[in-house]
Amino acid sequence: MNIKILLFGRLTELLGQSVLHMEDVSDTNTLAQRLSSQYPGLAQIKYQVAVNQEIIHGNKALTDGMTVALMPPFSGG
Amino acid sequence: MREKKLRNIFVNGAISADTIAESIRKHHTKKDIGAHSIFLGQVRADEIGDQQVAGISYTAYEELALEKMYEIREAIFEKYPLTCMHVHHSLGLIAAGEICLFVFTSSKHRKAAMEACDELVERIKAELPIWGKEILTDESHQWKENK
Repeated sequence: MNIKILLFGRLTELLGQSVLHMEDVSDTNTLAQRLSSQYPGLAQIKYQVAVNQEIIHGNKALTDGMTVALMPPFSGG
Repeated sequence: MREKKLRNIFVNGAISADTIAESIRKHHTKKDIGAHSIFLGQVRADEIGDQQVAGISYTAYEELALEKMYEIREAIFEKYPLTCMHVHHSLGLIAAGEICLFVFTSSKHRKAAMEACDELVERIKAELPIWGKEILTDESHQWKENK
């Protein structure tokens, strides 16, 4: 399975890219833990998670082809 | 059920005074309107230490932002007796002094247009996945935070 990860705002800088792919990740909590161990700075940044363009609260199971977006606090306008 | 129509709110670059004037002009034919309310967000040259904000570079999660804007639009039309509503937000680098947000509401009487415009601006800032990177005069940057 393949999950596409979209990064925004300051997260693009921290991770050095705006799109990532992750294999074999069963849910959003696991995805976040894996990224945090790879990019230690991530734990200090608050962000919301959207799965397939829907903001989620708590953990969500992932299946092949899903898109997960990590979104730091918004600052439009 | 009517079709869900996502309207694009994003424009590349600053929103010109001409665009705003043209938008006002287009409403002259809608003679049931008695009041317009307009909000213009302008990039402010904040002082950061011995630097200033030269501009803000905006990016967005556009698909999600347009979905969210659809929800907000529906909710505002439900709550206020509006004739029409227009929202434009810039993407890309907007220099200090230029307009980056244009919200325009119209109604028969002033209260609805004014209150809807105010609520729209608040919801746009709080709920749309848009990010502003403040570019300082020495070309360093910091990420904007909405207060």
